[in-house]
Amino acid sequence: MSATTCVLDGFGPLDVARPGSVNELGDLIRAATALYPFGGKTQMGLGNAPTRPGVAVDLRGLAEVIDFPARDMTITVEAGMTLERLRGILEPENLRLPIDVPESTRATLGGVLAANVSGARRYGYGTLRDYVIGISALNDEGNVFKAGGRVVKNVAGYDLCKLLVGSLGTLGIITQVTLKLRPLAEQQALICLPSDAAQLEAILTSLSDSRTRPVCIEVLNRSAANCVFGQAALKAPAAPWIVLVGYEGNGDAVSWQVQQLVKEVGAHFGLQARIDFTTHSLCCALTEYASTAACALTFRASLPPSRTAAFCLQADRDAPQSAVRAHGGNGIVHGHWPGDLTKEQAASILTTWRERAAQVRGSVIVQRCAHPWKQSLDVWGPPTNDIRLMREVKAKFDPRSIFNPGRFVDGI
Amino acid sequence: MTTAVATPLAERMRAVVGPANVLSSPSDLLVYECDGFTIEKNQPDIVVFPTSTEQIVAIVKACHELGVPFVPRGAGTSLAGGCLPIGGGVMIALTRMKRILEVNYRDRYAIIEPGVVNLWLTNHLKPRGYHFAPDPSSQGACTIGGNVATNSGGPHTLKYGVTVNHVLGVELVLPDGQVVPTGGPVEDMPGYDLTGVIVGSEGTFGVASKVWVRITRNPEAYRTLLGVFETVDDATNTISDIIGAGIIPGALEMLDSLILQAVEAAFHFGFPLDAGAVLIMEVDGLDAGLDQDAERIIEIAKKNHAREVRKANTEAERLLLWKSRKQAFGAVGRLAPSYCTQDGVVPRTKLPAVLKFIQHVGVKYALKIANVFHAGDGNIHPILLFDERDPDQVKRVLSASNEILDECIRLGGSVTGEHGIGVEKIDFMPKLFAPDDLAMMLRLRNAFNPDGRCSPRKMLPTAGACIEQSKAGRHAAM
Repeated sequence: MSATTCVLDGFGPLDVARPGSVNELGDLIRAATALYPFGGKTQMGLGNAPTRPGVAVDLRGLAEVIDFPARDMTITVEAGMTLERLRGILEPENLRLPIDVPESTRATLGGVLAANVSGARRYGYGTLRDYVIGISALNDEGNVFKAGGRVVKNVAGYDLCKLLVGSLGTLGIITQVTLKLRPLAEQQALICLPSDAAQLEAILTSLSDSRTRPVCIEVLNRSAANCVFGQAALKAPAAPWIVLVGYEGNGDAVSWQVQQLVKEVGAHFGLQARIDFTTHSLCCALTEYASTAACALTFRASLPPSRTAAFCLQADRDAPQSAVRAHGGNGIVHGHWPGDLTKEQAASILTTWRERAAQVRGSVIVQRCAHPWKQSLDVWGPPTNDIRLMREVKAKFDPRSIFNPGRFVDGI
Repeated sequence: MTTAVATPLAERMRAVVGPANVLSSPSDLLVYECDGFTIEKNQPDIVVFPTSTEQIVAIVKACHELGVPFVPRGAGTSLAGGCLPIGGGVMIALTRMKRILEVNYRDRYAIIEPGVVNLWLTNHLKPRGYHFAPDPSSQGACTIGGNVATNSGGPHTLKYGVTVNHVLGVELVLPDGQVVPTGGPVEDMPGYDLTGVIVGSEGTFGVASKVWVRITRNPEAYRTLLGVFETVDDATNTISDIIGAGIIPGALEMLDSLILQAVEAAFHFGFPLDAGAVLIMEVDGLDAGLDQDAERIIEIAKKNHAREVRKANTEAERLLLWKSRKQAFGAVGRLAPSYCTQDGVVPRTKLPAVLKFIQHVGVKYALKIANVFHAGDGNIHPILLFDERDPDQVKRVLSASNEILDECIRLGGSVTGEHGIGVEKIDFMPKLFAPDDLAMMLRLRNAFNPDGRCSPRKMLPTAGACIEQSKAGRHAAM
């Protein structure tokens, strides 16, 4: 028996509705003053805390496969399906959605799309915006609207898929998506490069220029390395920093790249590269890292890739004992701050970092933190210069402001 | 000798950009009455060539005050009438904003002005081993601003994606003169992905005055294969099997027998003139592993009854092969005085069905139809040959095109993979989308372009039609 009320990001209790069809969901929307859609609740900590009473909508009842033409390498499914189930459907056909999603047994496609979840291999494969080719959602009037289609190349109409991906459920409720798929990789390898602080940026630069083409470049400080390797039941090499470089492709390509990288880093840095034969468990641990650790606060910084190393070093210094992990090729840094950090310390560090990030057109957001902190902590940071246009889009799509009101950037 | 027209609008424009950057005489305007879609024509009242964002702002503000519509234009290579100046008004030609402002190899982006020609950027990046991935066949002429407007593709989209996958941000001048930068060189900035909807909006949201694009490392090596098949079915089965085997080629292009004749006459590559279809199959990336992929492709092609599979053994051979492919449209000129290139998409596995249908349509309307297209994406480009001096032939071409596009929809596809809706395909929008879909698209447009002054009557069939008609831009401008 499912609960009839729930608390979302510290707010509640809210009545829970469980629509079993798109029509039922439409009725809910027409009657609503505020709706808080959810799936597996893995990303519920993202955003401002809800403040307006309303109804929490459990979308896991909409989880059917609509169409799976495997030879066309596309699939159309309802958004309440979990990522784990999707994987189970795709793998027998040698296919995948190459997005690393933590807690995939719980996380639903709709939630992952709304929060624009990504992971280590975004360096090689991009993010969800590159894979959603069609979308259906319900608008503020409870009516279905769709955009895109079921073919991999299509420029008919405005690409509302892009708008809905990463909109945190503030423009409508996603009910169905069509995804472009990729074949499974024939081979994988992860190479572990131990580094000290002084060498970190030079290693990242050399990876950017390497003859090899990594699919991921992950940077881990000591705490993050312990966490990731520990989860994979491995012992992290004893070094202040670890860079994990991943390759995928056919057998010849992967083995050549492994040898080539060992040559390149050996020549430049005298590093002892460690080729890992437990790639799978380490990859999983890297993916799950985003959701692990009982911590006070999890942040995400977005920066130019060339600033990643410097930011990681600063993050490591400013919040001792924090676990810092970066997608080194993309300029995205995630960190978990330790439990003994106070809210005032957190606010002060965030202010400093945001000023630095703004100088290079970057940003720092709070991905999750203790609920009471959200009352005074700015989770999104200062809005970007296109905020007026974003507000205009929100006003046009959701004039009654019923979809996740107040939770997104600048209180949208 | 041309005569400059003196109107309040023309005076305002000359004051903004200087007389040398304005065209207003009827003979000068002739060039701008259409783009690559020549069925419909209309002259703008004036063409202006801004050289800065500030000038674009002043131009659109003047249009706003005078109640005149405007339309941005790059090189005018659009095939769907995206640059057609409906209602006259001001054409903002961006070809004099052609600077590459910054290239950052470490952070993998370039900042460019909208008039930079696609191939110039790639040539600029070449010495450092990078390129701009979208490579439409018109890349020697089309501008990146135009690529942004239409979300251009090209032969390499199967592996590398289309323009939207390579645009990081846009500086957009809104129709009211506000300058809004969206996105930028840093990934995952919080907020809506406005850049993602601006790309492909066909110039209906405003004027892009600056673009941040991703730059991509060049493949280290290529293996380019030419598969010769007796039938189109064998060729399409080969495509499905290659991708089913987990290989994503850089390109998979199909040419049918009619186009082969034209291309062979133009470039003398040595194409077999009696083949049912040929496939250009190219894998690229690191040298290591490419032979493995190429061998598997040859095996798959042979299993599907390929008569032969040739390898391009030298870079010169490879380049000639690609030249033949990219200039195939030009070579068609040898077959007929006029041609109309269509742009439909079907699920890849439906290619044999749609190609049979096209053949049947050709017979029905007594038209020759050649096919050269991005087979890996299911993106067909039937080329309908005709003589535009014969009104009956024109009528038959339009009917045949419509039937082919209807069939694409019936097979679960779309009426445009890369050319856009423009004015050409506006009547297909209600066939592809329900009224609620179009209503949401209109809401989005209204957030950017509420008066419909920018690129009126494009993309959406009824969008703001009454507002736009009441503007009577042409009269206002005279």
